[in-house]
Amino acid sequence: MVVLGSAVLALLLTLDDSSIPEPASGSFSCLILLSTVGMMFLVSATDLLLVFVSLELVSISSFILAGYERANPKSNEGSLKYFIFGAFSSAVMAYGISLFYGATGGTTLIAVRALGPLALTGLLFILVGFGFKAALAPMHFWVPDAYEGAPTPVTAFLSVAPKIAALGALARLLAALIPAASVDLGNLLSILCCLTMTVGNFVALFQRNVKRLLAYSSIAQAGYIVIGVVTGDAMGIQGILIYSFVYVAMNIGAFAVAIALANDRRGASPSAHARLDGARHGGPSGLDAADPYDLDSFDGLASRSLPAALAMTFFLLSLAGIPPLAGFFGKFYLIGSAVGTAHYGLAVAAVVNSVVSVYYYMSISYRMFFVSPRKGARAPRIGICLYATAALALAVTLFFGILPHRLAAWAQLSAKFLP
Amino acid sequence: MTLSHYVALGSILFIIGVFGALTRRSVIGILMSVELMFNAANINLAAFNRYLHPTGVTGQAFALFIMTVAAAEVVVGLALVLAIYRRRDKIYMEDINLMRG
Repeated sequence: MVVLGSAVLALLLTLDDSSIPEPASGSFSCLILLSTVGMMFLVSATDLLLVFVSLELVSISSFILAGYERANPKSNEGSLKYFIFGAFSSAVMAYGISLFYGATGGTTLIAVRALGPLALTGLLFILVGFGFKAALAPMHFWVPDAYEGAPTPVTAFLSVAPKIAALGALARLLAALIPAASVDLGNLLSILCCLTMTVGNFVALFQRNVKRLLAYSSIAQAGYIVIGVVTGDAMGIQGILIYSFVYVAMNIGAFAVAIALANDRRGASPSAHARLDGARHGGPSGLDAADPYDLDSFDGLASRSLPAALAMTFFLLSLAGIPPLAGFFGKFYLIGSAVGTAHYGLAVAAVVNSVVSVYYYMSISYRMFFVSPRKGARAPRIGICLYATAALALAVTLFFGILPHRLAAWAQLSAKFLP
Repeated sequence: MTLSHYVALGSILFIIGVFGALTRRSVIGILMSVELMFNAANINLAAFNRYLHPTGVTGQAFALFIMTVAAAEVVVGLALVLAIYRRRDKIYMEDINLMRG
């Protein structure tokens, strides 16, 4: 887990760092690195103290990252909402840990034998903290706002890294505690999991802004990964590892294309640029300006830039889980483990949700290939870093989709190190 | 003073905190309520350490960590509130609604 977690995050970091569009200062990368350190501690922690502190390290640096565009009111607002939900849930988690400590006399997760009602209550409170970080369904309200407001590279980072780290830590926590619990926590989690997938996918159907759409889709994706946490067998854990690895590639790739288009659109229309400047200098306008992330910036992308359109289509197909791509393979493992451990309801829910998700993913592709471009639209100029990021992500998505054996072997290898 | 007194105090504080965080309009009020929740956890930890597990200091150490983390968190929160206040002169939650859906 540690091995794979760090590999995933290192990969993510290079992808992410290379795609920062603005002239970013040192503190930006410093914050991303700090938050990554927190995630590495988080996935390797076996003590609640370490879990708490590293979760806070991740959270606090992501609050700052989400509000990094200080002059942009949306960024402030998204970050504030993120902060309030985050502070609330970490306070709940701290209270849960205190109950857990009172009941068991320690904070390690490994040595727990049996859980009384008090410790169980504590555990539920702790689950709230993790659910917030991983954006599971009842705790997901901050996600779309924080993601829309944050600078897009940060959104790409937030939508994969903390989520995967929290889910990894959750898997470890539950692997240690489910056998000791007197009540079946698996049922509770599978309800959460179904709810997460369904809410994410159905709300995504109605989104007009590509960042919000990807935000809801990432909620749904977390739901798929929780399947592996619920089943908890070897196949499920491999599924988590494979899917999170692949998910990093495809989601970052999709965001890279979106960033490229938005950058281009900002540069293309001088009026939008002026408005943006107005917003930056504290002018009253700048709200409700032509949103560079609106879905219609994808109109006719195929005739303007075929490679970008094809790449985006591959990422979206992979997120939807269509066979020749890597996303299918990860989903296959997860759903396979659900069927293998007789969680048929979960498997059905996951499949139905995938079908729903195809609709909104493909409506973007439809816009790219079959809607005629806006007047005056031209081929987007894509910066070299964004280009490299998208190409790398595409390579991962295609390569592991067609030749999944190597990834499966890695996953098997690192699954052995799990407790 | 027995353990149950402390735990009752902790849970009352926690409930006040949750209630405040859910109903307050001002962001500062929400921050204060969240602090109450953290302090409830601290009281619990210290009391459990003193009465149930007096051999170690895990609970007290944990309480110290929680205080530090809560302080750091509030710093970030207040910075955000300041940034918003400078632009809009308001810090009520219902006014912060640029994004919907």
